[in-house]
Amino acid sequence: MTSLLSVDNVTIRFGGLTAVNEVDLNVERGQIFSVIGPNGAGKTTVFNVITGVYEPSCGCVRIDGRPGARPLSWRTAIGFGFIALTTAAGFAVALNIRELWDTAITANYVYQQAFPWAKSFSDALTHLRDQPWTWNILPLLTGALVGLGGSVAVWRRARCTPDVIACGGVARTFQNPRLFHQMTVLENVLVGMDTKLRSRFWHAALRLPFFYREYKHAQAKAMELLEFVELDDDASAPAASLSYGHQRRLEIARALASEPKLLLLDEPAAGMNPSESDDLLLLIRKIRDRGIAVMLIEHHMDLVMEVSDRIAVLDYGNKIAEGTPDEIQADPKVRKAYLGTDEL
Amino acid sequence: MAGGIRRAVIVHAGWFMLGIALLVPILDPLLPLEWKIAGHMNRIFIFAILGLGLNVVTGYTGLLNLGIAAFMAIGAYSYAILTCDIYPFRLGFWSAMPITICIGAIAGVVLGLPTIRLRGDYLAIVTLGFGEIVQDTLKNLDNITQGTQGINPLPAPTFWGHALNTQDKVAWYYLLLAFLALVVLVSRNLEHSRVGRSWIAIREDEIAATCMGVNPVKAKLVAFAMGAALASTSGGIYAALFSNSGEPGNYDFQISIIALCIVIIGGMGNISGVLLGAFVIGGFNSIVLDKLTTLLQQMGMVNTQNVLTVPGNWKYMIFGFALILAMRFKPEGLLPSRQLKAELHEAEEDERAENARGAA
Repeated sequence: MTSLLSVDNVTIRFGGLTAVNEVDLNVERGQIFSVIGPNGAGKTTVFNVITGVYEPSCGCVRIDGRPGARPLSWRTAIGFGFIALTTAAGFAVALNIRELWDTAITANYVYQQAFPWAKSFSDALTHLRDQPWTWNILPLLTGALVGLGGSVAVWRRARCTPDVIACGGVARTFQNPRLFHQMTVLENVLVGMDTKLRSRFWHAALRLPFFYREYKHAQAKAMELLEFVELDDDASAPAASLSYGHQRRLEIARALASEPKLLLLDEPAAGMNPSESDDLLLLIRKIRDRGIAVMLIEHHMDLVMEVSDRIAVLDYGNKIAEGTPDEIQADPKVRKAYLGTDEL
Repeated sequence: MAGGIRRAVIVHAGWFMLGIALLVPILDPLLPLEWKIAGHMNRIFIFAILGLGLNVVTGYTGLLNLGIAAFMAIGAYSYAILTCDIYPFRLGFWSAMPITICIGAIAGVVLGLPTIRLRGDYLAIVTLGFGEIVQDTLKNLDNITQGTQGINPLPAPTFWGHALNTQDKVAWYYLLLAFLALVVLVSRNLEHSRVGRSWIAIREDEIAATCMGVNPVKAKLVAFAMGAALASTSGGIYAALFSNSGEPGNYDFQISIIALCIVIIGGMGNISGVLLGAFVIGGFNSIVLDKLTTLLQQMGMVNTQNVLTVPGNWKYMIFGFALILAMRFKPEGLLPSRQLKAELHEAEEDERAENARGAA
């Protein structure tokens, strides 16, 4: 059975700086997996690669054994063809628009008489055909090329973006809470639910019954999640009005709203007092009990050692150790990274 | 409890305003000549629709668009070409309007596709350029658009067999009010839906929104299409109302700036704010200045030789001054959305708290 998340041999370079160097990580289902390391070790960069914010320089990330990128489907390919044809036609028409209008419309239209559409259309085609090649073949080819090239380029760039990864079942929180401050707490959770909602533009614009049904359901689910993180009393408050600890919990609720298989928490206990971080520990366990694997970056060692099933240690972009909390605590290389070498 | 009452007041304020708006044409004949406003309201309604279109792009999604007038021009010219009898299409108002709206939406997508990754200043420059390109194209494609003459006259829209001439002031008033009400309703519906939430989420924090699974390309394209469709609607209605497409110069940069003023002074991302903004700016533009000019003429104070004595010439200076004052004292607009207000004043309060702590 494949791991839920496998990071294979991932390297990221920013210019000359290698932020992450050939790192392998495997997270199994139902596991709490911590990534620790000194500041600047590349922990957040690894998270950014997993969620598609950065593209790895080499190596790959698989979720459930599949790469996160969107596959090329028949529908997309037909879409490319359609866009290429439309731009080709658009280029050819746009370049000849004056003469086309004169030959096809003005010449055929007798004031307030019925208009011969078929004749107008064939006139337009004849006119285009009789042009020298620079005025019909060339714009058609250029248009097709621009349309095809443009759509393929856009698709390639968009096939592995964070939203695609999020649809694949990976949700995250950020090192500094990045909430939608002007929205209410409930709306923040509803944004997280976006991938699960099926209502389209027309459902919302015209308030079709489907919209109401889905809205009620979504709202109930969002309230349930807010109860889960104990924020249900603040549901209608603006997110900016929450305290720092509450903002972190709201971020977790928002991430859970997309029903992820894997939740990435980037320093969730930063800035929390001991009792808050105890609550957090319980919350992380509760999340694991819902069947969601949790990947954690954290500096509070008490929390990490207590909650983790497995720990990986990064230092200067290299993975220097991986194992259970006990193994990590005993590892001399980890001690060296954190405390420096003994100089007796 | 207090919140509930406030909410009820706000809800009923909307109905109250709608009631007044419905009564205006009935009460207007009773007013003395100098105080009649019904004839000016049409323009205000059209600007309100345009402002609501820009509100989708700039207010909700946070993309600065300085070329919204181009979409209004596209709407006006599409409507004119589809209805005018010098062209073979000769459609009626009710079949031409949906096509006009669709053409506007397609134009929005065409502008949106290549600019989807631009933000802030860069997008503003591109949209500004787009506005100029559309104007020049309309001016120079004179075998189709009649160049600087504009396309006219357009046939009057028919409403159950009754032709709505330009003189039917009351009927036009209610038709425009109905259009505006429909646009408000659709905007409000979208604001509190998945689509609107994804727009606002992108404005707030694009990276966080994408990591939550919001597709930014799709959301921005829909916003562009929606904004352009509304602007195109306002253009189509404008052409129908004046039975004239107007000339390309009517849709210049100043229209875009007025629309932007409406959105910013009224309150970004808030429908009632935009309506208030349209009423204040549109009202100033067509009612106050107009009445002032008549008044001054009656008093014999307007000297046509001296440009300074014509109130209309002060228009843009007053707009600019109003914008400066608004940015200094009410950056969130006259009627801000609740959250935006909290956001903008939070920083101030933090600073105040900091100072207080420093003093103690």
